[in-house]
Amino acid sequence: MATTDQDILRGTLDLLVLKALSWGASHGYDVARWIEFATDDALAVGEGTLYPALHRLEERGWVSARWGVSENNRRAKFYALTARGRAQLRVETESWTRYARAVFAALRAPALP
Amino acid sequence: MGGWARFRGLFGPDPERDVDDELSFHIEMRTRELETRGESPERARELALARFGSLERPRAECVAIDERRGRRHARAETMSELRQDVAFALRTLARAPVFTLVAVATLALGIGANTAIFSVVHAVLLEALPFRDADRLHEISTVYPDGTSYPLSPPDFMSVQADARHFEDVVALRDGPVTLLGRGDPQEVVAAQVSAGFAEFVGLRFVLGRPFARAEHDPGRHRVAVLTHGFWQRELGGARDVVGRTLDIEGDPYEVIGVLAEGSTIAPAIDLYAPLLYDERYDATTARGRRGEFLTVIGRARPGVAAEQLEADLRRVGSELAARFPDTNGRLTFGAAPLRERLVGDVRTPLLVLLGAVGFVLLIACANVANLLLARASARQGELAVRAALGAGRGRLVRQLLTESTVLSLLGGAAGLLLAHWATAALVRAQAGNIPRVEEVGLDGTVLLATLAISLLTGLVFGTVPALQATRPGLTLALREEGRGVVGRAGQRLRSGLIVAEIAVAVVLLVGAGLLLRSFAELTRVDPGFRTEQALSFRIQMTPARYPEGEQVRAFADRLIAQLERLPGVTAVAAASSLPLTGVSSLISFAVTGAPPPPDDVNAEISILSVTPGYFGTLGARIASGRDFTEHDRGDAPLVALINEAGARKWFPGENPVGRRVTAVNDYEVVGVVSDVLQENPGTPAVAELYVPYQQRSTRTLRVVVRSRGAPATMMAAIRSELRQLDETMAVRDLAPLEQLVSRSVAQPRFFMALLALFAAGALLLAAIGVFGVLNYSVTQRARELSIRMALGARAPQVVGMIVRRSVLLAGAGLAIGVAAALALGGVLRSQLFQVGVVDPLTLGAVALVLLAVVVLASWLPARRAAAMDPGLMLRG
Repeated sequence: MATTDQDILRGTLDLLVLKALSWGASHGYDVARWIEFATDDALAVGEGTLYPALHRLEERGWVSARWGVSENNRRAKFYALTARGRAQLRVETESWTRYARAVFAALRAPALP
Repeated sequence: MGGWARFRGLFGPDPERDVDDELSFHIEMRTRELETRGESPERARELALARFGSLERPRAECVAIDERRGRRHARAETMSELRQDVAFALRTLARAPVFTLVAVATLALGIGANTAIFSVVHAVLLEALPFRDADRLHEISTVYPDGTSYPLSPPDFMSVQADARHFEDVVALRDGPVTLLGRGDPQEVVAAQVSAGFAEFVGLRFVLGRPFARAEHDPGRHRVAVLTHGFWQRELGGARDVVGRTLDIEGDPYEVIGVLAEGSTIAPAIDLYAPLLYDERYDATTARGRRGEFLTVIGRARPGVAAEQLEADLRRVGSELAARFPDTNGRLTFGAAPLRERLVGDVRTPLLVLLGAVGFVLLIACANVANLLLARASARQGELAVRAALGAGRGRLVRQLLTESTVLSLLGGAAGLLLAHWATAALVRAQAGNIPRVEEVGLDGTVLLATLAISLLTGLVFGTVPALQATRPGLTLALREEGRGVVGRAGQRLRSGLIVAEIAVAVVLLVGAGLLLRSFAELTRVDPGFRTEQALSFRIQMTPARYPEGEQVRAFADRLIAQLERLPGVTAVAAASSLPLTGVSSLISFAVTGAPPPPDDVNAEISILSVTPGYFGTLGARIASGRDFTEHDRGDAPLVALINEAGARKWFPGENPVGRRVTAVNDYEVVGVVSDVLQENPGTPAVAELYVPYQQRSTRTLRVVVRSRGAPATMMAAIRSELRQLDETMAVRDLAPLEQLVSRSVAQPRFFMALLALFAAGALLLAAIGVFGVLNYSVTQRARELSIRMALGARAPQVVGMIVRRSVLLAGAGLAIGVAAALALGGVLRSQLFQVGVVDPLTLGAVALVLLAVVVLASWLPARRAAAMDPGLMLRG
């Protein structure tokens, strides 16, 4: 059962990353840790796939990146949501919510009278 | 990384390195976290790597994404920079409208002239002839022992076609005027009779109908014709149902069996094609008819066969025929020349000279615009210095300035294209200069590309030096010395050098134009041997259908002359088979009775003309000795002839020809010698001519000369109406004042002379503008110095003298270089000159005088301005 959840979540990796960054700029490792915490470790195997997602979002202009210094004084790349990224997150959140509500309602609906 | 990290930005982003840094940071952080939870360092790292999964895949993906983004970014940046530069350049140019207008106009003239001449060169010299495998087509000719070339006779054509091994195929055509009847006024059209397989050989394309069948070349069958596209459109309104219709050509019905596609013809003058009828002369096995030469023969060489092999092949065919038919072919052979050479060989040199000339004009235009830019650069020192101070690198500034000059040259190119379009259209319309293939001239894709290339190159040529000069290090000085300018002594030298170069190039063009002008003057000074004033000429053709017998032809000629003589205002009328300046007329073999046969390398032929009594008087030629023809020299009287002076010199050196007998098909007694008249053009000496009475040797082509006191236009109308009354089926051709024969014979040299003179005048004007610009600018620059001089007592004439002296120095240097270059380049003009040497003191002297005069004139205004300055005002201000 857990494997299926993780598959679904991984399909929405872009959305998760946008959400992770909605609390402020952070580097890839922090994004990974938030996803671990928020999704019951959906990326338990294959955290690496997070990075192409981050770079793709940067290419699309939803996320901006700059090099900075981490808490432990290491050179690290920090990502932040752009205005367009924030708008995208809103749109995707809404559509996911609508989708999930519809699926949930359908699953609880009785048989035809 | 250390010290290197600081410089990394200099070489642009390094995606691989960045991705590695990013991923290893992640692994390291995870390892550290696991360690704080109590794992051993080795175990922690192992677990971290396992969690991460594949390292290679994300790494490769990230690098690919970043590189793609980097490239796109760089491209966008370049484009936006270019857009900015172009927009900035346009704004800057719009702020200096006078400068922009002068520069664009100068460039438009230069580029326009180049585009126009290049489009002519491209159409005439470069573009392939519109025939299948045109590069392998050669014209084959009969070559006489003295090296002269003639067409082929039918039996010789059949022999060459059968025996030449290095030719894939050989075809023949015979073209000439025929009279088209039954469509309103009779009119003359040009018909080409072509040998079997001609359409396939040339690759003629049909819009309607079909080519001739082999059987249609047999004599005695019903006649067929194929129309050219132009004739079909013009005469038959492009009717689709034309195939099957009948045309009346000189009384014979011709069935139209096809129409050619537009532009698909061997020569633009041809109106219709008919099959060459293979009568008994088309026989390779007999001697009969071998010396009646009238076929233009074209052969297609086999692929890869060299010109020498073709020549050798034809010589072999010639010597085989000479052995077999010694009486007719004993001294003859055959030769070949590339068809393109035959068509355009004459105009190659003049066109290339013109192309070179417009290239020179463009160089001068470039120098002028460069000078303008240099002058402007000093005015813009402040702006450039500010931009440099704000961090724009030298490369950035140079790029900006080059963008500006490219924008200028593209604007100039666009305007030039308009000029060229207009000029070439006028050229094609006027058919100026008798240039072959000129109707193909136009601004096609190649020409447009060439113009674009020329424009871009031009922008670089005139833009580079000023851009480098304006941005050279030390620019910040300008901030302090605003206005005084960095363009100091070095700039001044550069500008002077440009002026000297401009003058030198202008001198080369002036010398070339001067030589052609002198040569043309010599051409027009040549005495044509006849009087052209108050005389008209025209040509008629008596068709075999209407005038089957010689008797009828002669009777018509008599009647025509008698009718025309009666017209009011007419003082004399005469006719001949050919007129001066219409080309050498038909050649026949010639011998002086009782004289030893001429050596083998002398062409034993003479040009024969039939003339009516009074012809020489009407034309204004002179009887040098003996007598003129009279009304009594008719068919039943003894055969008599006159020989021209060239003929007398050639055949009767040191003797009096009068009273001698000669053979030219018939035996004639020479009764007089007549002065030479021009035959081809003034540059070609007269060849031997034998005149015989028209009544003793009539021809169906008749050229008539009418001398009158009346206005030409009235006379022309009267002549037309007279002819309509005599024979309403007869077309009147080439009705025009006699002067036109003379002017047409020098049309080509006049055209080239006029164009080169135009370009030289343009070059001189541009050079004068350049001199003016530089001196005017230097007066502005030196205003303070000049004011001090005047305040210290220098008088206006001294100041004027100083400025003018400088211009004369520049002109002298340019003149010396230019004359040296002109002498070195003179050889290319040699073939175009008539009675003028390449080193012509008169031309050189005239050029020097004109140039000095123009340069002094150009320096006069700046000098006056300098002399008129108020020293007090200047020094106080």
